[in-house]
Amino acid sequence: MRTLFGAVGLAFAWASSAAAQTPTPAAHTSLSGASATFDGAGKPGEWTSQARDYANTRYSPLNQINAGNVATLKIAWSFSDGTQFGHEGAPLVVGDTMYLVTPYPNIAYALDLTKPSPSIKWSFQPNPSPTAIGKACCDAVLRGWAYADGKLIYNLLDAHTVAVDAQTGKEVWRTKMDDVDKGVTMTMSAFAADGKVFVGNSGGEMGVNGWLAALDIGTGKELWRAHAVGPDKDVLIGEGFNPFYPWMKGKDLGVTTWPADMWHTGAGASWGFISYDPDQKLVFYGTSNPGPRVPAQRPGDNLWTSAMFARDTATGQAKWAYQFTPHDEWDYDGINEAVLLDMPIDGKVRKTLVHFDRNTYAYTIDRTNGEVLVAKNFAYQNWSTGFDMKTGRPIVDPAQEPKPGVKLDRVCPPDIGQKDWEPPAFSPNTGLLYVGIFNICMGLTDHEASYIPGTPYDGMEMERSSVDGKDGNWGGFIAWDPAHGKKIWEIPEKFMVMSGAIATAGDLVFYGTTDGWFRAADAWTGKILWSQKLGSGIIGQPITYTGPDGRQYVAVAAGVGGAAMVQKSRAGFPPRGNTLYVFSLNGDAIQSPESPPRGASAPAAATPQ
Amino acid sequence: MKLAKSILGGILVAAIAAGVAGWIVSSRHAYSQLKGGEYEATSASLPLGDVAGQSAAILSAETANPEASDPNAVAEGHKLFISMNCAGCHGYDAKGNMGPNLTDTYWRYGGTPAQIYQSIASGRPKGMPSWGKKLPARSIWQLTAYLQSLGGSFPAKDYQAAMQGDLGDKGQGKGASDQQ
Amino acid sequence: MKRSAAGLFSLLMLSNCARAPLGYLEGEGPAARSIASLGWGLLGISVAVCLITGALLVFSIFRRRAQTDGLGRGDDRSSLRWIGVGLSVTTVLLLASAVWTLWTVRGLSDTSRAAEVNIDVTGQQWWWEVRYRSDTPSREFSTANDLVIPAGVPVQLNLRSRDVVHSFWVPKLAGKMDMIPGQTNRIRIEADRPGIYRGQCSEFCGVQHAQMAFFVIALAPADFQTWWNHQLEPARNDPKAIPQQTFIERCSGCHAIRGLPAGGILGPNLSHFGSRRTIAAGILPNDSGNLAHWLNDSQGVKPGSKMPELHLAANQVDALTAYLEGLK
Repeated sequence: MRTLFGAVGLAFAWASSAAAQTPTPAAHTSLSGASATFDGAGKPGEWTSQARDYANTRYSPLNQINAGNVATLKIAWSFSDGTQFGHEGAPLVVGDTMYLVTPYPNIAYALDLTKPSPSIKWSFQPNPSPTAIGKACCDAVLRGWAYADGKLIYNLLDAHTVAVDAQTGKEVWRTKMDDVDKGVTMTMSAFAADGKVFVGNSGGEMGVNGWLAALDIGTGKELWRAHAVGPDKDVLIGEGFNPFYPWMKGKDLGVTTWPADMWHTGAGASWGFISYDPDQKLVFYGTSNPGPRVPAQRPGDNLWTSAMFARDTATGQAKWAYQFTPHDEWDYDGINEAVLLDMPIDGKVRKTLVHFDRNTYAYTIDRTNGEVLVAKNFAYQNWSTGFDMKTGRPIVDPAQEPKPGVKLDRVCPPDIGQKDWEPPAFSPNTGLLYVGIFNICMGLTDHEASYIPGTPYDGMEMERSSVDGKDGNWGGFIAWDPAHGKKIWEIPEKFMVMSGAIATAGDLVFYGTTDGWFRAADAWTGKILWSQKLGSGIIGQPITYTGPDGRQYVAVAAGVGGAAMVQKSRAGFPPRGNTLYVFSLNGDAIQSPESPPRGASAPAAATPQ
Repeated sequence: MKLAKSILGGILVAAIAAGVAGWIVSSRHAYSQLKGGEYEATSASLPLGDVAGQSAAILSAETANPEASDPNAVAEGHKLFISMNCAGCHGYDAKGNMGPNLTDTYWRYGGTPAQIYQSIASGRPKGMPSWGKKLPARSIWQLTAYLQSLGGSFPAKDYQAAMQGDLGDKGQGKGASDQQ
Repeated sequence: MKRSAAGLFSLLMLSNCARAPLGYLEGEGPAARSIASLGWGLLGISVAVCLITGALLVFSIFRRRAQTDGLGRGDDRSSLRWIGVGLSVTTVLLLASAVWTLWTVRGLSDTSRAAEVNIDVTGQQWWWEVRYRSDTPSREFSTANDLVIPAGVPVQLNLRSRDVVHSFWVPKLAGKMDMIPGQTNRIRIEADRPGIYRGQCSEFCGVQHAQMAFFVIALAPADFQTWWNHQLEPARNDPKAIPQQTFIERCSGCHAIRGLPAGGILGPNLSHFGSRRTIAAGILPNDSGNLAHWLNDSQGVKPGSKMPELHLAANQVDALTAYLEGLK
């Protein structure tokens, strides 16, 4: 009897432990309940715009490469473009052609994906002015390009916008947008939506007057231009403008929140990514820091810098605006992108946008009226002691406010924030956002600055180090729940992560580090499933597409530069590069029938015996 | 006794008067020395490359920095480096940012004092503004003196050797190396 | 002898005060008047004490003494009485002086009446930056060397320095206050009536310390508001005009004019320069001839100052002079 009981008990124990070990069929539900429409995306195998769709989700429905097989990813082919500055843009795949543009001198390439790659279909040299190189604050980069109406449309560093015929590579139109000798450059990705192309300027460190403009796609003619500083008629604020918070209501706030006439050099440049809501017909974008970068010289809230605008695409009139960092004192630009998601907040589904700001708050904002629903830190900061949900303003720590000539030992984040322009990706399966971050602080001394056109209107003297001492981890990659304002997991990285992120239906997220590691991680757990070290640091945006051969490929450019150069004296920091790497399972790619298959030796010549 | 007292008194007064007069005269002299040094505003042409065409230059490439003897030149140059926004492009440590590193021995447009002066005065094609009209010659030489104090520039008399790359390692026989 | 010297001194002072712009004995503001009266009062007390002591001394020297046998008497009560009287009188006078002084000094820092205007004054070698503060940021602006204030109301000045220690002194309106780098000192000035009062740097600050002057111009409150509104108006920006081009080309690295793309902060802000009283911090009266002289030979006027020799052509000097004088 006892033996029987023992046997049954043992069997029971074995069965239950076996049951515990067997993976339960995962009821993998979205952690946030957030969803997106993928309007504006091309076919599933294409990548027709920098963010893949109007909402900026950077999510691909492809799952041929998935968590199960990503470990077999290898380099299929690579393409070096011969330039030397940072590579920040994502290649576009439309049909069977890949389009990419180099940093200065902004040469455009069309690659024929049906042939063994890379195979150049055409190239286009726009010959921008070399003066622009010395006016670009953060490397002579180009953060992307747009494909629309059979044309490849992109900005040149010297403040022109150019459109190239996608079939022939010939210039269709070129529009001068501003004066490069006054310190204005253009580095942002042109954005096409609603029959127009939207472009904005750079130069937040050069005392420029920031603006966003809409051009006609066919002719390049300017339809409207909305400034970020100045009177309401310049900022295109009119009857329909209705910000949520009272402190942004009033006449000509773009003038009255600055000392006399200082708005002319107030910056507010628009150098980040743009999103588009086709239902409201609104574009969303952010504005840069105020100029000069010495707050003591410009008391006042300094509207409309470090802010986000929602503008009507037809007229440019602002519907609402929200300023993330009033009277910014640390160069916390507001230009980071808005990811348009719908999600339940407090039981009600809201139309929102999610914005990871340079000031280290991750905002979930109602995109119909600019109300802040969630504002939580996604990384370490010490400039603010909290966020006042009632007024919609962050609470500044007075000890971290710089005064000219006085050194602040440790302000976190530094000027480049704990997240710069590098964009996040959204997975509708997990409901999470994935984004590369930094983990940096700065010592800061302000020096009062003169405005001399064409020179920096700056004054910030900084040394940067990691949050945990001089050579700790300078970066990371996180998964973020935007409905609850919570970090779900984080992968610490020794170097900054300044690449874009993509999420795929294969439950993978891809990102690259500034010391050259390109990684694939499990979207649910953050476990790194595959890594490959590339020839230079990665600050570009990856994409994934289906080639003409039906294979899924993942591509990213490796060419370090931009703000990542703050790490250039660290051991392990790579030299510059200019190579696009394309990966596939086992490295398989299209091979011409004539060329020998991989691994075979050349056949011996037949000789008569 | 009274005579002795009055003689002593007279000598004392004379001595004081002489001292006062001498002080007035010498301070006048010093005053006139305070006027800034006078230089011709140079709009020099200097060969950017080698002299295959043998073009005449107004400012010789081997001109030394006339502010070299002024002990305040480096400090004044440093102040100008910040206030004229040079630090904004080249970094507060001059190690480069938007503009190139000014502390190493790589000089795109030449690293002798006259060549540095020329780069500042006329500007350069990749975005370096021209300062020749905005700043007097003395200020530009002071800026040059500051840059010379950072260690990467070449001596004026070694213009030929610098152009031919013989001074890239500062004549030490070893370039800069970087253990990782 | 002392009496006549004191009398001569007072006579000289009284005759000169009307012609002395830096004369602090004639206060034109409540602070200066209280200091001046304290000064006169202490002088009076001191003179009286000197006279009384002197008289007693003279009396005791020349008083005839009664013949004695050389031995002192046992009873010195009368001497002790004199000492007692002297000590008590002195103590009372000293205490009274101390109290009066402290009371005056306390009055100088009285903040019970709200300051109508808040102005930042920053001294630097060898001129004065004046920045008007306001609750509305767009009413804030910078000017230089002329400190315009409303008359009859207290004005708060926040004193700073960009390089070495200077000192702010408008003798007819208030006492001195040092301007120390890294620190902000506050002082209140108030002018009883509209008028022009001269100020001077009163802490040695380098070779041109002696030529670092400024003027306080007190206006009736309504006129002051008009002046402020006028100062906010930017200059007309005409990029094609030659004088403006010359200014931007040669001067804008150090000087700013609101309305033009000229934002130099090393030298004085030249907005509305034509309405300033003086050139080079109180040295030359502001007119075309003096301005041309300054532009041609700044080192001759103020040797060692940071305004360099410009080597301008004559037509450039004429153009700039006309342009700057036209910025009213």
